[in-house]
This record gives sequence, C-alpha cells and structure tokens, in this order.
Amino acid sequence: MLIKIKNKIEEISRVCDQVRLFCNQNDISEDKYHDIVLILDETVTNVINYAYPDGTEHEFTLEISKKKDDSIDIKLVDNGIPFDPLAKTDPDTDSSLEERQIGGLGIFIVKQLSEAVEYFRKDEKNQLNIIIALKNKEEENGS
Amino acid sequence: MEVKVSTEEGVTVITPVGRVDTSTAKAFEDGVMNVLSTSSKVAVRFNEIDYISSAGLRVILMAGKKITASKGVLVLINMPEKIFAVFKMSGFDKILKICPSLEESKSFFN
Repeated sequence: MLIKIKNKIEEISRVCDQVRLFCNQNDISEDKYHDIVLILDETVTNVINYAYPDGTEHEFTLEISKKKDDSIDIKLVDNGIPFDPLAKTDPDTDSSLEERQIGGLGIFIVKQLSEAVEYFRKDEKNQLNIIIALKNKEEENGS
Repeated sequence: MEVKVSTEEGVTVITPVGRVDTSTAKAFEDGVMNVLSTSSKVAVRFNEIDYISSAGLRVILMAGKKITASKGVLVLINMPEKIFAVFKMSGFDKILKICPSLEESKSFFN
C-alpha cells in the first residue's frame, strides 16, 4: 500500500485509517496493528514537524507491505532537509519523575517495537526503512 | 478523540476515547490540565483508546509532575497490555502509579 502524505499534522489520523484498512486486508492481529500504527505515528510526525522548515506544502510517501507471514516492511521517503531521526540519544528511562525529560521518547519507542530500523540519505531524499516482525520471539520458540 | 470526565468514589476519572496521537494530544492536554486545576485526586483510564504516542505520554508525564508537586495523586488505570508495554519500555512504570482498576487504586488516594 502506497500512501501520499502532506506535511500537515492532521494527516496523522488519515494515515491511521489507511493502516487500519491495510491491517484488516492482510489479517494482521490487533496487537501488531497497535505497534504498526504507533511506529507510523512517531515517524510520520517527525517528517511533518522537521523535514520542511520552509513552511510551505510538500508531499512525501509511505509504503507499507507484508512480506509473507514474517514481517511488515515500511519505507518512508521525503525530499526535505537531511534529518536522521536515529541520531537522537535515547532517553534515560531510569531517571526520577522530577528529572524525567520527554525528548527522544518517540523514536526510542520505534526502535523498541521494530526488528530493524535504518536511515539513509539518497538522491537528496531521506529514507527510513523499518521492519516489524509479525511473529513474537516467544512464539518462534514454541512457548 | 474525545476526553470523558467523571467522578467516581471521590476521584476525578479522565477517559480519553479514540487515538491519543500527535494531532489530538493538544485536546488531551487541555482536558487533563483542566481537571488538574480543580482536582487533586485524579485517575486516567486507558481502555478506550487505540494507542498512545509519545505526544500523549508527554501529557501524562507533565500531569504526573504537576500533581506530585502539589501533593495530589495521579493513578493510571485499566491499561490494556499493549499500552502498558509502551509505558514500561519508556520507564514510566517506575515513576507513575499504574493500577488494574480504580477499585484497586484506593490505597493511593487515602
């Protein structure tokens, strides 16, 4: 499924609706729908908020596909300014309530929920590839 | 997204309904902050949302800091497993009170 997205925050809810449709069509469980939609919310939001500082309207693409029964592959491509979301330092998840900062939490969650995440810049475009495993590790081990 | 507010057993219960995502986080924040300005015993119920993004977690963190600073109590209740997993990986289970139900959170409010 290919989804074209404009750099407006209201687009997030349309993306979620499309992902719902994709999950229904591909027999993807509620649990995985949750992870996929959360990962996409965080990464698409990053592009909308940071890729186009000129403030004018742009369009970028999200491609989501199912690879057999093993994984969901996501490809997010935008022609905005160079921006590597993975470069951010992970938040300190051991700090106290008073000291706890919110920065970097979104992409940290994406890393935790994915099998693999990679960023590269190619042909003046940012590309983020995400692989989400469909089987839980416990299931593979037969437990 | 909609934010329902009710009073149950002396506790103000906030129930977001739908998706707490980046585009709805502001409405969620307004709803939560509005309750915090008048109530010091607050619960947020999570069983009517699809998911909560980091924008929504930010609101919960802010609410936790604010209410703790003013000696009030914030408890997070009825959290589905998938949503709890996100709180746990974020380390929020160590700094916020999470309970299966309002009934079971009573000791925090006394």
